[in-house]
Amino acid sequence: MNWWQALVAAGAVPANAGRSDEAEPGEHADLVEDSELQVHPIPEPPPRIPKTVSFLNGIERWSVVAYDGVVQVVNAYIAAAVRRRDAGGVLHTTCERSRAFAIAPLERMSAPLRQALEQSAPDVERVDGDLVEQPARYLEMVEATVRRTRAHLERELAEQSLANLGADEWLVLDGLLSRSPAVARHPRTLGAIKSHGAQFLEGRGLERALTLPAGHRTSVFAVRGGHTRTEVYSWYLRLWPWEGNDLLYGLVRVEARADAETVRRASELSAWLWAERAPLATPATRWDRLLYPLHHVEEYLKARAPRFPAVRSRLPAA
Amino acid sequence: MIDKATPIVIGRVVATELKPATPHQFYFWTATDTSIGIGAIVKVGAGSGEPGAERVVYGVVTEGFAYSDLATPLHDVVGAEGDPTRAEDAPTTRQQIRYWTAAVLRQTPEEPLQPVPLGQVYVADDTDVALALRMDGFLHSATPTAIPVGLYTSAGRDSPVYLDADFLLGPEAAHLNISGVSGLATKTSAVEFLLASIFAHFPAHKGRVAALCFNVKGPDLCFLDQPGDLSDEDRRRYERLRVPAEPFKRVQLYAPLKADGVNLNTLRTHPDLVDDVEPLTWGLQEVVDYAEVLLNRDDIDAKADAFIDFLRDRVLGRTFDDGFGTTHRVQTFGDLDRLFRSIFDGLEIASGGRSDTWRTHHIATMRKVRNRLLNISTRCKGLVTDDGPSSDLPWNGFEDRTVYVIDIANVDPLGQDLVFARVVSKLREQLERRELGVDAVVVFVDELNKYAPGDGPDTYVKKMLLDISERGRYLGLVLFGAEQFRSQVHRRVVGNAGTQLFGRMDMDELATPGYQVLTPATKSKLATMPIGELMVRHPHFTQPIFIRFPKPPVLRGRDGVERFPPAADVPFDEAVVRQLVRLDRRVRPNQVKDLIADREQDDVRRALAAARRTRPDDVFAYFRKVLGARVDSESSLARERHVVPPLNPISEEPY
Repeated sequence: MNWWQALVAAGAVPANAGRSDEAEPGEHADLVEDSELQVHPIPEPPPRIPKTVSFLNGIERWSVVAYDGVVQVVNAYIAAAVRRRDAGGVLHTTCERSRAFAIAPLERMSAPLRQALEQSAPDVERVDGDLVEQPARYLEMVEATVRRTRAHLERELAEQSLANLGADEWLVLDGLLSRSPAVARHPRTLGAIKSHGAQFLEGRGLERALTLPAGHRTSVFAVRGGHTRTEVYSWYLRLWPWEGNDLLYGLVRVEARADAETVRRASELSAWLWAERAPLATPATRWDRLLYPLHHVEEYLKARAPRFPAVRSRLPAA
Repeated sequence: MIDKATPIVIGRVVATELKPATPHQFYFWTATDTSIGIGAIVKVGAGSGEPGAERVVYGVVTEGFAYSDLATPLHDVVGAEGDPTRAEDAPTTRQQIRYWTAAVLRQTPEEPLQPVPLGQVYVADDTDVALALRMDGFLHSATPTAIPVGLYTSAGRDSPVYLDADFLLGPEAAHLNISGVSGLATKTSAVEFLLASIFAHFPAHKGRVAALCFNVKGPDLCFLDQPGDLSDEDRRRYERLRVPAEPFKRVQLYAPLKADGVNLNTLRTHPDLVDDVEPLTWGLQEVVDYAEVLLNRDDIDAKADAFIDFLRDRVLGRTFDDGFGTTHRVQTFGDLDRLFRSIFDGLEIASGGRSDTWRTHHIATMRKVRNRLLNISTRCKGLVTDDGPSSDLPWNGFEDRTVYVIDIANVDPLGQDLVFARVVSKLREQLERRELGVDAVVVFVDELNKYAPGDGPDTYVKKMLLDISERGRYLGLVLFGAEQFRSQVHRRVVGNAGTQLFGRMDMDELATPGYQVLTPATKSKLATMPIGELMVRHPHFTQPIFIRFPKPPVLRGRDGVERFPPAADVPFDEAVVRQLVRLDRRVRPNQVKDLIADREQDDVRRALAAARRTRPDDVFAYFRKVLGARVDSESSLARERHVVPPLNPISEEPY
């Protein structure tokens, strides 16, 4: 028997984890349900699944396609789509937007190449050239730029789709609800967050949230997140048992409108999301936290995204 | 004839490095809810306005796949938590694909031959079907040769499919073979419909056509002149194919007589129909010409052949001295037996039993030939007459668009072989001489497994079928063969069939090498094919095509015997009366009965056959004249001694 097997035999929970989500700055959370963060079982089936639901997700792609000295010129593509689920469970696209653009520190480029870029690329996102000499940090900045533009695109699309939302129709987003005040305040929107770098809880509450059993949710708490600082209500929901994996396995944080109605319906909404576990969102790497319809939107966007015609070296990639 | 419809986009060609489009095959996907299936004809390219759309490719769907984005089956189990009943509860339907493989039927332009373009896929309309199957060449030419074979009904279409008469009935190619399991009436029905279609559409410039069918099973082909029940859908199909939905107007049914020599050996003996049945009886001359048929493999040797040739050339129909003082004129089996007895007696008496040859022929050879020849008159009594003239098909007067049916269902297998061999040989002879009366004859033979098996001895019948298959198209002698197991029929017989039809097939049969060119989906469709549907292979079609044909406009055999129950055999005198009345309505039954009372039945049969053959104005007078004066009892007894003695057909005697 290995030492860790002995440890499990002594009462430790078995695990199989290697890495976790990137840490983000902590956020403040105020409980709006219960006096202390509690664990609530989600109601038994059958869940009340809204007849019509739209799902919003987006993708991003970028790669360095040219060098001007050490200046890295990036080709980027972002896209987002809303797909509505009909009564038969089939998804149909209702809104879709994309943007293909170049990212470059124009002021650091040589005149001829800058001119060539400006003439040939219809959409150029300028970035600061201070980090050009530090390629790794420069690329981190590029990545952040792409994420920011994608988030902006998704927010615009979400706001646009709210206008088309049916009377009983819900909109489920992949990610933060609080990016857009309009979306965050809508009574029939939900955000499903898979990344848990930002920590809202601490102490006993945090432990309860991270060791949440499958089929349970935490008490609802209020968070003020995103750039808009719009307050939303949130809670954790465990979709799959984490034992034998890692603490975040199957853990989703749900965001909904900051309203007493959200607290009242938190269990009902959790039961709905619990029912969305099937079909599995495989082969996505984080299928345990990804709802299949959101995965489907992502696959749809990937299928429609243009291929990057990169000039490749004949040597093997490093 | 051809409807031009608006193209309907139903899919799109896709190609990957692993599954590229080629000049002969391509892949496409459709919506999950699509009207196409295995056997559907599709068109790629035209109408899309895409680059390369000037190239049009026609294909037939040969395989279909459906799958979802499910990574492994285990993930479905996990999603449903191991409970299959919960699998349906998933609120979102997985993304699915309907992915089809199509084999190219035709490309335009045909040169240069290129891979199928990655364009939109359309359902083929009537015009497309005609082009895809290369029917435009013979459908719209100055001398059209199109014969409707059925309707292409996949993908909600209803397009006529035609065969090229030049490739169905010669001279370019010919013959048709149809396979399928028994009991679904598909094979016989298909041939009946196709014959009706040929009669309706056989091009005038190709002359006259007739069909000759051997009825080898029950009442299958006995009611081709009687109307069957057709549904409105069937009638609509007939209209679409421009084939009259009515039974054959001209049918001649021939059946041998039973052993009594007067009742017909057929199931079409209902009083309302029996008058249309002609007796088929042959005498010695007709049998000796095909004596090889009667000899089994062990019998075939040069000595027997030589002796049969001797009989044929020197004895039959001639005045002949046997060398022992007796002169013979051999015209009947009775005469032949008397000759043999005279020879055997002569050898015994003249040489005291020491000589065993007569005119270089060994006595054992003569005994063997005698037994074989005289055996047939016993085993096939009714078809072969001991003595008396024959009643035969009109070898010089076949009529246009007429079906000749020979009912040999109840005839001894040896007799069936004899009928088969003689009829087909005569057809060939007459067609060679251009004296048959028609330019082409379709010969329908069911149970090819039996007559032309892939293994076993080379019988006369098999050799003859091979000969028709390989050379008949030049003469206009066309074989329509049917069998249950195509793999068990001689390869050259089925291989020479230019057109091949397949009904529902047995899975074991489909597992044989002959079907390896078909995809699993096509085999699966063949194994579950409904009645009235066929897979067609024709020289102009580069891939097998599925079609639907209407129910034949004739009464099916089993329905026929229900509607027209066969009559019981009638007494000898009554049967004679009926046959004479049929020839001449003025004949009075009592007169006939009085005339034939106490007369030898053989004499009556002979007189009856003569009346049938001659068809005089005054039948009764002629019959009375041929029958002659009443023979007294003493003469009658004397004659008894010369009657051919019955031979035991299962005799252990080696010769």
